[in-house]
Amino acid sequence: MPAMDSLIDLLTRRGAALLAWLRGWRRLGRFGATAIVEALTPATYNSATRSVVQKQIYFTAWQILPGFTLFAAVLSYVLIQIVVDTARDYGLAQHALEMSVRILVLEILPLLTALFVGLRSGAAINTEVALMIVHNEMKALEETGVDPMRFEFIPRVIGGVISVVALTAVASALALVLAYVAVYGFQFFSLPEFNRVVGNVFDPPAIALLWAKVFAFGLAVTVIPISEGLAAPADKLFFVPISVLRGMVRLFFVLMLVEVISLALKYI
Amino acid sequence: MERAPVRAPLIKNLEFKVGLLLVLTLVLAAGFLLYTMYARGAFERTQRLILVTENAEGVQSGMAMTYAGFPIGRVKRLDLADDGEVRVEMAIPVKDARWLRQSSVFTLEKSLVGGARIRAFTNQPDDPILEDGAERPLLTGDAAAEIPEIMAQVQDILANVKAMTQADSSINQSLVHVKTVTERMAGEHGVLGGVLGSPENAGKVIQAVDRSNALLASLNDVSHKADGMLGKADQRVFGPDGVMDEVQKSVTQINAILADVRDSLKKADAILANGEAISADVKAATTDIAVLRAEVDDSLTKVNHLINEINRKWPFAREVEVKLP
Repeated sequence: MPAMDSLIDLLTRRGAALLAWLRGWRRLGRFGATAIVEALTPATYNSATRSVVQKQIYFTAWQILPGFTLFAAVLSYVLIQIVVDTARDYGLAQHALEMSVRILVLEILPLLTALFVGLRSGAAINTEVALMIVHNEMKALEETGVDPMRFEFIPRVIGGVISVVALTAVASALALVLAYVAVYGFQFFSLPEFNRVVGNVFDPPAIALLWAKVFAFGLAVTVIPISEGLAAPADKLFFVPISVLRGMVRLFFVLMLVEVISLALKYI
Repeated sequence: MERAPVRAPLIKNLEFKVGLLLVLTLVLAAGFLLYTMYARGAFERTQRLILVTENAEGVQSGMAMTYAGFPIGRVKRLDLADDGEVRVEMAIPVKDARWLRQSSVFTLEKSLVGGARIRAFTNQPDDPILEDGAERPLLTGDAAAEIPEIMAQVQDILANVKAMTQADSSINQSLVHVKTVTERMAGEHGVLGGVLGSPENAGKVIQAVDRSNALLASLNDVSHKADGMLGKADQRVFGPDGVMDEVQKSVTQINAILADVRDSLKKADAILANGEAISADVKAATTDIAVLRAEVDDSLTKVNHLINEINRKWPFAREVEVKLP
């Protein structure tokens, strides 16, 4: 029965692909959990790991800080102006500040930072890890008694999280200042009103959710590329682009998932 | 594939830069946390105010209460009490509490767009300040509740407006007439054209006025001439050698004549008296004489009457009547 055979073949292949996909997520989850545990273990931090963390922060955050800050400021200012003008047109000017602060600081800027870092450093980390596997460097490290997990990957995850948090903090602070200037102009008399609106937006649950979201973004932009790179088969150089591609798609998916979950928690 | 050695000190001031970024991040994060706590009034001394209402729809925790448009407190929490009323607990900063007095009124307003608003009104600023933990009713005013009534009224108004603006409505017709009249007023004959309806009528009126003017001018001439004539007539009638003088002279002559007539009549009367006495026995003669005497009396009366008549018309005579002796 050739038809039956082809059907079985198809189902086998489908099933295998599904299993591989699920295995990828399981691997990702396990690596992420390990990274969190390791990052919270004080013994992880020694001069060697600290150096890797510093380098990671330097490459991921410090290098792009001026450009990213400028970009975030321009984007923030344009969005604030749009929101303020639209709100004024509809006679809702008193809600303009609250709306722009919510849109920018709570939603757009964290996501923007995560996408920026993910596309830049995430892709680089993914490629690097995949190449290490392909070149059998991992085995070499293990043979010399160096735990690659501890000395290569965990510091990168820590550095990535700190970078995302730092960039988000800078961009958000700038956005708050720009929002004040856009709504009230260059004067300080409206500070009480501004304080009231900001205090209204950032109640304790909102702050907790924002922190959790930014940490999740920071974890995602490093954990997913490393995990995906580790899945590359040894001695197969052609697999590196595939690994990066898969890593980026999965990263994008996870970032959106985190964003949707945070929105659902906040507004539903 | 070449990779940069992980621990090679390639980057200048790496630790400083990363440290700076970390410190900046920490400062921003901690500062933001403190700022939001401050903005939410965590470091402010507040006093409590309980507002009681039946329906707190639209009221949320953190919502501001305004006084004269300025936020002076916020909703801390909402409770549904056992009696079914909502107790809204407000936190009023102590420095703003001076705006609230014992007699202050608190309202909850729901607008069509945007959320509900709690507002405070103080009409008597001399009242004692509202005490901590005071309980006041929250009066509700719902803009949406009056909409059906307003809509009904608006529909009436709209119907009237529609009737007024229809093509055959009185207002429109009046306006058309006004337009016609003003068009005529703006025409050749001006306001007269507007009032009289057509240029022909207006022309006639103008002609009539012109004619009246001409007539008045000629009347003026006539009256001038009449003045002259009157002056001359006056001279002719009353002037020296005028008609009146002549008449006076004639009347004087008539008087003289009449006086003569009276004298002769007296003589005749005397003769008659003698004749009566002579022929008293002659009865036949007597009757004739009596008839004659009646005739003379009659003519005397007539003359007297004539004199009276003349004297009435020409009051120059001295003697008014002729008397028989």
